[in-house]
Amino acid sequence: MSESTVEIPEAADVRKPRFRQRGRITKWISAIWLVFIVVSAVGASFLPYVKHSCDQFSDKDKCSTHVKTNPLLSERPPSWAFFSDTTRPVVGDAPERYGLFGTDTNGYDLFSRTMFGARNSLLIGAMSILFGILIGGTLGLVAGYLGKRVDKVIDTIMNIFLAFPALLLAIFIVGFFDSSTTSEAQSRSIVPIVIALVILSIPPIARLVRANTMVYAQREFVLAARSLGAKSGRIIIREILPNVMPAMVTFAITGMAILIVAEGALAYLGLSVTAPTPTWGAMIFGGQTKLETAWWISIMPSIVLFLTVLSINLLGDALNEKFRIREAIG
Amino acid sequence: MSSLQTALRRESGTLLKVEDLKTHFVTAGGIVRAVDGVSFSLQHGQRLGIVGESGCGKTVLSRSVMGLLPRRNVIRTGSVYFEERELTSMSLRERQTIWGAEMAMIFQDPMTSLNPVMKIGKQLSEPLRIHLGSSRENARQIVYKLLQDVGIPEPEKRFDQYAHELSGGMRQRVMIAMALACGPSVLFADEPTTALDVTVQAQILDLIEYQCRERQMSLVLVTHDLGVVAGHTDQIIVMYAGRIVEVAPTPMLFSNMKMPYTEALFQSIPKLEEPSHTRLTTIGGRPPNLISPPDGCRFSPRCPYTTDKCIKEEPELQKVGVDHYFACHHPVGSDRWKEVQVTLGRRTGGR
Repeated sequence: MSESTVEIPEAADVRKPRFRQRGRITKWISAIWLVFIVVSAVGASFLPYVKHSCDQFSDKDKCSTHVKTNPLLSERPPSWAFFSDTTRPVVGDAPERYGLFGTDTNGYDLFSRTMFGARNSLLIGAMSILFGILIGGTLGLVAGYLGKRVDKVIDTIMNIFLAFPALLLAIFIVGFFDSSTTSEAQSRSIVPIVIALVILSIPPIARLVRANTMVYAQREFVLAARSLGAKSGRIIIREILPNVMPAMVTFAITGMAILIVAEGALAYLGLSVTAPTPTWGAMIFGGQTKLETAWWISIMPSIVLFLTVLSINLLGDALNEKFRIREAIG
Repeated sequence: MSSLQTALRRESGTLLKVEDLKTHFVTAGGIVRAVDGVSFSLQHGQRLGIVGESGCGKTVLSRSVMGLLPRRNVIRTGSVYFEERELTSMSLRERQTIWGAEMAMIFQDPMTSLNPVMKIGKQLSEPLRIHLGSSRENARQIVYKLLQDVGIPEPEKRFDQYAHELSGGMRQRVMIAMALACGPSVLFADEPTTALDVTVQAQILDLIEYQCRERQMSLVLVTHDLGVVAGHTDQIIVMYAGRIVEVAPTPMLFSNMKMPYTEALFQSIPKLEEPSHTRLTTIGGRPPNLISPPDGCRFSPRCPYTTDKCIKEEPELQKVGVDHYFACHHPVGSDRWKEVQVTLGRRTGGR
């Protein structure tokens, strides 16, 4: 006879517990930063401070006139840098400080150049990692699944590549393509640098994918698929690849950051895309002799590079979290 | 008339014949004789149970019959005939056409046997598309039917779910559906219920049995649980240390077991009529190291009836009745057995 008198709380009273994620804000900040960088890299030509390398500029005459008529615009510190003295005299109506990032020795606006640099740096990074994943991932999957002799051959080759100091290898590859294309280092394009970086990125990716593949190849669902008559190719592509994917994508994102820095290192040695075309590395390299007098030439692109790489890494972590495979438990 | 005859032949006669199958693993410690000379045959529609402790070679036996073992460091001799076709010498490509279509396997752990990143429906349509070449839409319809057959409600919903969204019993049902997909003529169930709890266990076994009968499929049920095989098989093989020690039709085995090992296994099942807190009867010791199995009878170190003869001479399989074979010098009911029973002063059993 006892009626249960449990009160059911009204819907409005119940506060729905919200799922809170770690590091949400940093994730969003880095996403916004990356979107900003990508958008300005794509739209670099339309930036307000279009006083950049004349090669990139559609109206070349106007550009060269600008450089010629404003010789005194060179090496102006950023407009907010009140603490930095101008090393050059202010003559006529030449501004004392100029732009968001200041100007470089040639009088080009650094902000615009940095955005143009973003275009090249990101392109080099993305292309290298894309090809790196395609080639390295395939090698890793094949080596990890087939094992035996195939694995031995691939693994040995990867070990040989890993045994070289990475930078030396890159220098060697860029140098190799230089001599074969043209004696003039002037016209070095983006291609040899991408090839060098692809070759640098293949071994680590192949190794990671190989190790992951080996783990998944042992799993029972692969045996189950085999017992149902699935062939090797099908198992690799449909059973193993989706499982290896998250690790691969996460690594690729981190790898892209590393490759952007590596391109910077190559450029620092004067081995990247040549003079008029800006990349971040080349810009940092170009400004290093002026570091005492005009620090902003090196420092400003460095900051952008640093923030971009940091954002890519943070976003990579977030993606890793997102892609985490839910294993069947209990 | 002729079609009727073929149908009849399909329902009777030998489907699978294993002759002196040996599977040895080459390890750093030596050669592990996981399966050491096993012969048996399976009739159309027959349900066969393989019983033994952990590490007796049951799983290796079922896998090497199917030919699923890795090639590296494995020595496999003997022959397996599937409908008069020799499986051991077949190329991988040929075997792939048999796997799934003619022989299928259900694995022990449904938690790890389903791909975590693939939808259930996709995994189920895989064998259909491989073997029958069905279209996506056609496969979808068959999968709905299959899911219904194995007792999964709302197949349309399950089709687009992932493995982690299903319970353990459901996953095992999905595994069964996967194995059944192409209508194989023999189903290997490798401890299909070990990872499940007891209530679900009964359902799954009933389901497997029902599907076997429905589809006139032979079944090889591998388990360590005599209770499981008792109600669901026609014939039982008892394995110990990679060898067959007793073969008998199910009722015969339980009423007239000969091998002390079978007896010991049987005694270690807890019984309802025993008072509570009765100590469980166990078999002392562990299965022998298969790198260097004991001379003579492999069960001799753990057997209460062991005599010098057991240690020196390995017993051969001998016939006692219709389809009933055992390998023992002092079987249940022999003089030695009676003598030990008296000295032990209790019913029967281990140490």
